[in-house]
Amino acid sequence: MADTKILDPKIPAGPLAEKWDLHEKENPLVAPGKNRREKTVIVVGTGLAGGGAAATLGELGYKVLNFCIQDTPRRAHSVAAQGGINASKNYQNDGDSVYRLFYDTIKGGDYRSREANTYRLAQLSMGIIDQSVAMGVPFAREYGGTLANRSFGGVQVSRTFYARGQTGQQLLLGVYSALSRQVAAGTVEMFPRHEMLDLVVVDGRARGIIARELLTGEIKRYSADAVVLATGGYSSVFYLSTNAVNSNATAVWRAHRRGAYFANPCYTQIHPTCIPQLGDYQSKLTLMSESLRNDGRVWVPKKAGDTRRPNDIPESERDYYLERRYPAFGNLVPRDIAARAAKVECDAGKSAYFSDRAVYLDFAEAIGRLGKDVVADRYGNLFDMYKEIIGDDPYQTPMMIYPAPHYTMGGLWVDYNLQSTIEGLFVAGEANFSDHGANRLGASALMQGLADGYFIVPRVVASYLAGAKLKPIGADGDAFKAAEDDTRKYLQRLLSIKGSRTVRDIHWELGRTMWDKVGMSRNAEGLKDAISTIGKLRGEFWNKLKITGSDQDLNKQLEQANRLSDYLELGELMARDALSREESCGGHFRDEFKTEDGEARRDDAHFAYVAAWEYTGADREPAMHKEDLVFDNVEMKTRSYK
Amino acid sequence: MAEKGSVAWSSVGKKVITGLTGLALMGFIIAHLIGNLTLFIGPHEFVAYGEFLESILFGKFVIAFEVVMFFIFLFHIVAAVTVAWTDKRKARTEGYRYAKNAGGKSRKTLSSRSMIVTGILIAIFVVGHIYLFKISPSKENLYATVADAFTGLSFTIFTVVVMIMLGLHLRHGFWSAFQSLGWANDKYLPVLTRVALVFALLMAVGFLVIPVFMHFTGDPSFTMPGGH
Amino acid sequence: MSDKGMTIHLKIWRQARGAASGKFVDYTVKNVLAEMSFLEMLDILNEELVQKGEEAVEFDNDCREGICGTCGMVISGVAHGPYAASTTCEIRMRQFKDGDTLTVEPFRAKPFPIIKDLVVDRSAFDRIQQEGGFVTMNVGSAPDGNAFPISKEHADKAMDAAACIGCGACVAACPNASAALFVSAKISQLSWLPQGEPERGRRSLAMVAQMDDEGFGDCSNHGECEAVCPKEISIENIARMRREFVKGALKG
Repeated sequence: MADTKILDPKIPAGPLAEKWDLHEKENPLVAPGKNRREKTVIVVGTGLAGGGAAATLGELGYKVLNFCIQDTPRRAHSVAAQGGINASKNYQNDGDSVYRLFYDTIKGGDYRSREANTYRLAQLSMGIIDQSVAMGVPFAREYGGTLANRSFGGVQVSRTFYARGQTGQQLLLGVYSALSRQVAAGTVEMFPRHEMLDLVVVDGRARGIIARELLTGEIKRYSADAVVLATGGYSSVFYLSTNAVNSNATAVWRAHRRGAYFANPCYTQIHPTCIPQLGDYQSKLTLMSESLRNDGRVWVPKKAGDTRRPNDIPESERDYYLERRYPAFGNLVPRDIAARAAKVECDAGKSAYFSDRAVYLDFAEAIGRLGKDVVADRYGNLFDMYKEIIGDDPYQTPMMIYPAPHYTMGGLWVDYNLQSTIEGLFVAGEANFSDHGANRLGASALMQGLADGYFIVPRVVASYLAGAKLKPIGADGDAFKAAEDDTRKYLQRLLSIKGSRTVRDIHWELGRTMWDKVGMSRNAEGLKDAISTIGKLRGEFWNKLKITGSDQDLNKQLEQANRLSDYLELGELMARDALSREESCGGHFRDEFKTEDGEARRDDAHFAYVAAWEYTGADREPAMHKEDLVFDNVEMKTRSYK
Repeated sequence: MAEKGSVAWSSVGKKVITGLTGLALMGFIIAHLIGNLTLFIGPHEFVAYGEFLESILFGKFVIAFEVVMFFIFLFHIVAAVTVAWTDKRKARTEGYRYAKNAGGKSRKTLSSRSMIVTGILIAIFVVGHIYLFKISPSKENLYATVADAFTGLSFTIFTVVVMIMLGLHLRHGFWSAFQSLGWANDKYLPVLTRVALVFALLMAVGFLVIPVFMHFTGDPSFTMPGGH
Repeated sequence: MSDKGMTIHLKIWRQARGAASGKFVDYTVKNVLAEMSFLEMLDILNEELVQKGEEAVEFDNDCREGICGTCGMVISGVAHGPYAASTTCEIRMRQFKDGDTLTVEPFRAKPFPIIKDLVVDRSAFDRIQQEGGFVTMNVGSAPDGNAFPISKEHADKAMDAAACIGCGACVAACPNASAALFVSAKISQLSWLPQGEPERGRRSLAMVAQMDDEGFGDCSNHGECEAVCPKEISIENIARMRREFVKGALKG
């Protein structure tokens, strides 16, 4: 790693609060009408970021090709977000402001995000709410007809807008409706059930993609003037996560192989309130809304190895460890803290009777204080869901929960304009790395997706198109042909292995390694071990994989095998990144770097930078480059929730 | 957004037509039943009631009414057959090998499933009914004609069965008409379905006691004093 | 948490891509636990099939927590299976008994052509949405979020309808293969909100026209749709759609 470059984030000059406005003034524009119609933009992904960007670019008059792997854009995984979306509206008159939302996000991210991006996010948050309301998103309302807010973990104001427990779904349906209008208007062409398998770079610029039509297996080329990736996160590298089973990192990883740097891959968020793993057959973990911690009390038995049922354990033998360790925030500490605390207890042998990977979330006190009806009104659906899965009634018996991989803060490196290290390749939403640092606050993912999709991507792509002086190209060039051939050969190679291990089998093993060694807490020995284990597993995959069916047909085994082949490289990069970051911050916790009472110990002197990794070839060590994080507007403090 | 086909004959339009005509037909059978109940008062009153109807607007009313009723029936039948027969068959060409009712909140009942069958039976009955009592009466007055028709056990039983079919038809048809016209919501729907049950029972029982009553008490040789 | 697994017999509809029809194939899955989801049971079956060198059963699924609307099959005659207010992925095997024989069929309707095995094409829903399931307004032109006060009752009604996940179970369960519940949910949602007001009449006429063009059947008010709907969308929305439609038609 001798040739470490320092990356320029291209942050505009000027005071923090004026950067975006000043930048917009300077950005070149494309005139409406013919000039815009002749510019083609490929957008991959139809979630809040991708769908929002596609629809908005369509409204502006550009020609948009929008791809998704789902059968319809309305099913992108943004749909699954439950809790809400933050905005600094200060409708509650509780002292909220753009600065406070910015500050909370920077602090929540443990001072590992870029100030200018985070500030812009807080600024744009208000417009997102206005836009969504105007599109008919049925946010919760007060009796007087104004918008309602709720509070969320880690902050002291009430700024979260919500639509029952289905906020992500409702925002996504808003995006989907805007997208539908543009499809009808002819500006956006939809490609559902299409998976991007390669990025085509011509003369150093992103000029198109290779996609596979999932129903027929046909491999097709698409050319454009710019490419936007909004394909979500990579939590499925852990196999078991709260992500959808088709969520994958293939689009970003193939772009990475073509030259886009991957930033901070080790920053992963483990969500504290999920239903514990039940068995090896399991396909995913189910998230129970974070809101449960508003009324539930988390505890474990004081005695290690206590296998009594929870109701048989007297009050004096229970350890409400969050309330004990963090008296100021109690059960409402941020996600990374709550998740790690559960692991500490379980590692010490204190866990629920059911598994050594489960703690209790108890509503007895809330039921006593509020009555069963109020508790049922707030959490009834979640309790029913829990009962159906576990078979216990949470009104009678404490719930069992355990952390699960949920969100990835890392992603492709982008500058202030969301442009990656490949010119003309823009990355939005969870797929990029920029706004959440080392830990994301609740209700901020939806905010970032829509800020990127509705507001940032349309502007920065427009100014790129106006300034880049691109020559029109078709999809017939050598680069397209070579990428298509490579893709086809890659898939045929997967089918031709004809070994003995299924995709699920190998993915499960990768996931176990990732969870044990690159999960909630990491150490040098484990990470080195993970790097070698994953390398071996990759060899195992390419020699022993067994899938059936054909590449000329709908074949989900093949799709998953292809995605797993990327996870087997990405997982290793995550371990390398975690190994190189010799500090603890946010979701990245190194056992060697903690305070005496077990809290994370950040090292701002040496690690206040973004690690951006360059792909150097299969089975070769990647090169790390850096972007220095400069904090001009906030003071870097040690996070404390005690 | 080009106009695609006719609004009135769209899937929703057809339901509105079925609902409106259904409501009109329900109004008609209520009036018809009340008129029929004069049979229980006595033969004279029944015959007089018939003559009264014939006399309104110098006999023009009945003709006009019949024409209107004919078209109401026609629209009701054609719209309903399209909905529940032809469109239905087109919309699912390959059926389920195993299908069962979902239960729970479903309102699918024997009554809703048999609408097309009960409807066709009622339509056939109505044609026969008009022929028998209107076009080609067997006796010189309506009471005697009715009494004559119900002397036989099999026709009486047939009529009773058709009236049970009418009840079944109304059990679904009553609330469904309101739903089809958009006059229903979560508050009114449970009320409407309960009223539908009561209405269907009243109509079925009201109409089926007549053939039974006439079978046992009717006098086919009755003549009106004064020579009709 | 059960110690002993169940044995479940399955009759699954297999249909090759492009084939006019298919047939049931019998399978048996052993060691099925009560807390497994129905789809996890199918995963186990697929693992066994692949190990034997056979093609896996294709079925659409994604979030596996009942919100994306991707999964959907008819289990023993009922769309999304025997547990009310659930998607197929939310069904747990505790709903079944050791030794049960379950039939598994795709959603069937002419406008939902079968692609392969249990996977169907529901793009008709997208085309209906494109005819008017939106508010015509561009990003940038929105007034403040509190500019239109909306009563809590109306916001709640809109949300009840907006909860639709577009899974298509309503069509699958309808004896007439009608899409009335799906279409009405969108029309109804926007009819409760002031934002939807200017396009009300046009929206209902256009979406209904597209629904008919796609070849869905007409609604006979059986209410099977509401019974299988994972989000418990009420048929009151269908009544509301009809009212909107009549108003739209009368206003021209």
